[in-house]
Amino acid sequence: MYNASMIRVRLPQKKKELEFPGPRRVMDLLADAGVRPTTVIVTQGRRLLTKDHRVEDGTTIDVISVVSGG
Amino acid sequence: MKCKRCRRADAAVDLPSHHAAFCPACFFVFFRRQVTEGIRKQRLLVPEDRVLVCVSGGKDSLVLWDVLIDAGYETEGLYIDLGIEGYSDRSKEKVLAYAASRGKTPIVVELATEGVPIPEAARCARMQECSVCGTVKRYFFNRVAAEGKFTVVATGHNLDDETARLLGNLLHWQRDHLARQHPLLPGADGGLVRKVKPLWRVSEVETAAYGFLKGIDYVTEECPMSEDATSLVYKEALSRIEDRMPGTRIVFYQGFLDPSNPLRKRPETATPEDAPGADAAHRTEVAAEGGEGTARTCVECGAATFTETCSFCRLKERVRKARSLRATTVSR
Repeated sequence: MYNASMIRVRLPQKKKELEFPGPRRVMDLLADAGVRPTTVIVTQGRRLLTKDHRVEDGTTIDVISVVSGG
Repeated sequence: MKCKRCRRADAAVDLPSHHAAFCPACFFVFFRRQVTEGIRKQRLLVPEDRVLVCVSGGKDSLVLWDVLIDAGYETEGLYIDLGIEGYSDRSKEKVLAYAASRGKTPIVVELATEGVPIPEAARCARMQECSVCGTVKRYFFNRVAAEGKFTVVATGHNLDDETARLLGNLLHWQRDHLARQHPLLPGADGGLVRKVKPLWRVSEVETAAYGFLKGIDYVTEECPMSEDATSLVYKEALSRIEDRMPGTRIVFYQGFLDPSNPLRKRPETATPEDAPGADAAHRTEVAAEGGEGTARTCVECGAATFTETCSFCRLKERVRKARSLRATTVSR
């Protein structure tokens, strides 16, 4: 169960979900989640977020890895 | 943050490597220009080309197909079903759905039907899955292109892929590989079709952003066979550098592609006109076929090769023998 007064950060490829208190910029959330900005795109629903976008409490964002191997 | 191009809409994509940020509409313009500039600078395609686009269901290849269709090229998609349980089915679904959305039907090659599903073929040949996959894909790229009278094969390799490969080649001083690495591999006699990488100027973040904003539904999971791929190590190293020094990747690769770069010449054949020439294509296929010498046709399938039997037919034979050995053991 996630806390509605926090920011929920989903990392679908890692099957992981994290929560952070807001408001917080995307780049800070990525740093806290241990994710390098040049390896992901960050989305909120159908929106793509820039790294300086301020995320408010109660928001769910998805961090999608873009790194392909092989 | 406002879009640096139209200066009105909110930015959706920030690109520190270009000191820029774009709204979705302006990002589409930027992205397409990057790709068309990449095509123009390296003379990858001409308007009359009939392009076979190799699509895996991942973001890069589907975005490539999308951009080439929008740019007016005559294209068909080729999907190779690798026979990897679950992953291949999900990838194929994405390819078929995208193709249908553009009124296309991709050419599908099923490796299970061809007798060489990747996991089993790698086991039988005692080779790395990625290596087997490369051999099989190269074979079908050439075969399908020749059968379908395509003038060129296009793959979705992007700037991150190419710089990771470049870093690996440099770290191991693979001089022959360095001499061959290029977004354009010219065609050659004997059924070797020209191969191009039109996304060489755009990063993975850019292709992912383009795919997301265009609503292209691509497979986000990684191929389970590539978990230990060394290219991922090089990509990680380069992404650390890119985080600290945005723009390093494109400078690295463009500097490498500079015709005056001596690393792009084979030591024994270094000549001013040797970049990239028809010989380079032959050398790549020679390396892929594990031999040197004169090109000939495979005695089994007729494909271009430098040995009596091509590497694909040799692989197929090893799988067949392993299966028959297994069947004999089981029946005893």
